[in-house]
Amino acid sequence: MLRIALISVVVALTNVFALGLVQAQQPPPAWQQGRPPELSNSPLAPVAAPPTPTPAAQIPVNKVKLPPGFKITVWADGILNARQMAWGDKGTLFVGSRVAGNVYAVVDRAGRREVKVVAKGLVMPNGVVFKDGALYVADIPRLLKYENIEANLDNPPAPKELYTFPKEAHHNWRFLAWGPDSKLYFNMGAPCNICMPPDTHANISRMNADGTGFEYVAHGVRNSVGADFHPVTKELYFTSHGRDWAGDDFPNDTLHHAPRKGLHFGWPYCHQGDTVDPDFGKGRSCSEFAPPLLKLGPHIAPVGTRFYTGSLFPPEYKNRLFIAQKGSWNRSQKLGYRVMTVDLKPGQPPKYEVFAEGFHEGGTVLGRPTYIEWMKDGSMLLSDDFHGAIYHITYQR
Amino acid sequence: MSLRLMTLALFVWTLAAVSSAQAGDVDAGRRKAEPCAACHGADGNATIVGMPSLAGQPAWFTHWALIKFRDGRRKDPVMSPFAARLSDVDMADLSAYYAAQPPRRRPQAVDAAKAAAGKELASLHHCTSCHRPDLSGQNQVPRLAGQDLEYLLKLLRAYKAQTAGDLEGLMTQAAQPLSAADIENLAHFMATSPASPAP
Repeated sequence: MLRIALISVVVALTNVFALGLVQAQQPPPAWQQGRPPELSNSPLAPVAAPPTPTPAAQIPVNKVKLPPGFKITVWADGILNARQMAWGDKGTLFVGSRVAGNVYAVVDRAGRREVKVVAKGLVMPNGVVFKDGALYVADIPRLLKYENIEANLDNPPAPKELYTFPKEAHHNWRFLAWGPDSKLYFNMGAPCNICMPPDTHANISRMNADGTGFEYVAHGVRNSVGADFHPVTKELYFTSHGRDWAGDDFPNDTLHHAPRKGLHFGWPYCHQGDTVDPDFGKGRSCSEFAPPLLKLGPHIAPVGTRFYTGSLFPPEYKNRLFIAQKGSWNRSQKLGYRVMTVDLKPGQPPKYEVFAEGFHEGGTVLGRPTYIEWMKDGSMLLSDDFHGAIYHITYQR
Repeated sequence: MSLRLMTLALFVWTLAAVSSAQAGDVDAGRRKAEPCAACHGADGNATIVGMPSLAGQPAWFTHWALIKFRDGRRKDPVMSPFAARLSDVDMADLSAYYAAQPPRRRPQAVDAAKAAAGKELASLHHCTSCHRPDLSGQNQVPRLAGQDLEYLLKLLRAYKAQTAGDLEGLMTQAAQPLSAADIENLAHFMATSPASPAP
């Protein structure tokens, strides 16, 4: 029998590292350049990726704090490493993943959610969108299209390969988003922590729905995994992850606004709009680049980035940007593990507020808010790639 | 070439603490592991050169490896058909069993000078952040201490060549700056490290 165990640990250990004499023999590899020598024995490492989803009853969703009138429940569980979500025309929720390599279909059967695996063995199939009966999946090497999939959930058709991406894996798990121009937008992240990227990387790009017409939209973007278009202006807003190993409080992850294509947002020369990189910023100035709209906090890991266009939430949420933050690893005290909102009223500075928090307790991870999708009634679905679950956030006055 | 004196550094650090995951049954895993013994050893300490030891591997590492064999991201003439028959519960049980077995360092000829050079490289290339300072691994990150030398060499060379699939792309990335000599030195360091059980 399978036993359920609570592996819980914690953990604030105090450690003294005697570093002693270290010989400076060669420059550090590019992916860790800028890491201070005293961090060479740092135990900070990316947060664990459990190989099994957590049963709903064991997910500490009661720890999540929301504004008055809002309520969170587990909507579906058993979705290992659940990431981006997209609705099919017939009410199927498709869910991508990263390390699990799966794409899922969640079908509502009279209030009980059935989870089917519709694709497996893909390489980080993070990005999913839907249009005209077809599911589009971006994994690292390819853009795939599964036609007429909702009629064939138990026997999905072989996908068409619409596009081949560059093979670099790191930071190249992709979001997908339909633009107001009906093009597919996606990221091609920096294949490193900090480096001079190849021309093909560190950008947001777009192409036609049939895989033709590739073009760069935004340059100097280290690692964006969430973007949306403003409901009124239709302009692109996206979040990006700042570099690691430059300190607990530097640099901030950022929110950007790209009102036109071709802007450069600074990476790897300039971080958070105001600080040149110690290695790559020599001779450069931050004034050369489009500044971020907002600093979101260091290492908080913004993922799902979506405007609210529903009418269930109170009127002040209309057109606000919601940002799900998976939470930090490269920082001694955890930060993020929350959902924030940004009010972007014209002519006013962005107002940045907590919406949902409590996804960690000290050093213990209780959940990792990942991607956002909206229900027809205006309530929110929030995926959690740590527990392999999807939460439902509703409002009742 | 200059020697720099580093000061004592005080770190208050937090382990990547986690809550809630399903764990397997060690006793059930012991029975299910019987077909694995011929290659990996009855207690997960393999004796065949080139064959990885599984004793003391973090359960999540073994579980992910089996998932990847099952869904085809990782391919092997023996492991792929074996994993194809496993359920999620089987994988959890097998992983729990191997995690509970005390690891032993593989008896193998290693080069002390290479191992010493490898120790410096392990710190420089940040191996010890994820694999821990004693190379015992954690969560989905494998134990390297005392592992089979030939297996370590094969895998590191494959990461460098970008032909080995890793879970998040981190190892492929980490291996790119390594020279052929670096890989030899690192593998010798890992193979000589004492296989003390994880704390």
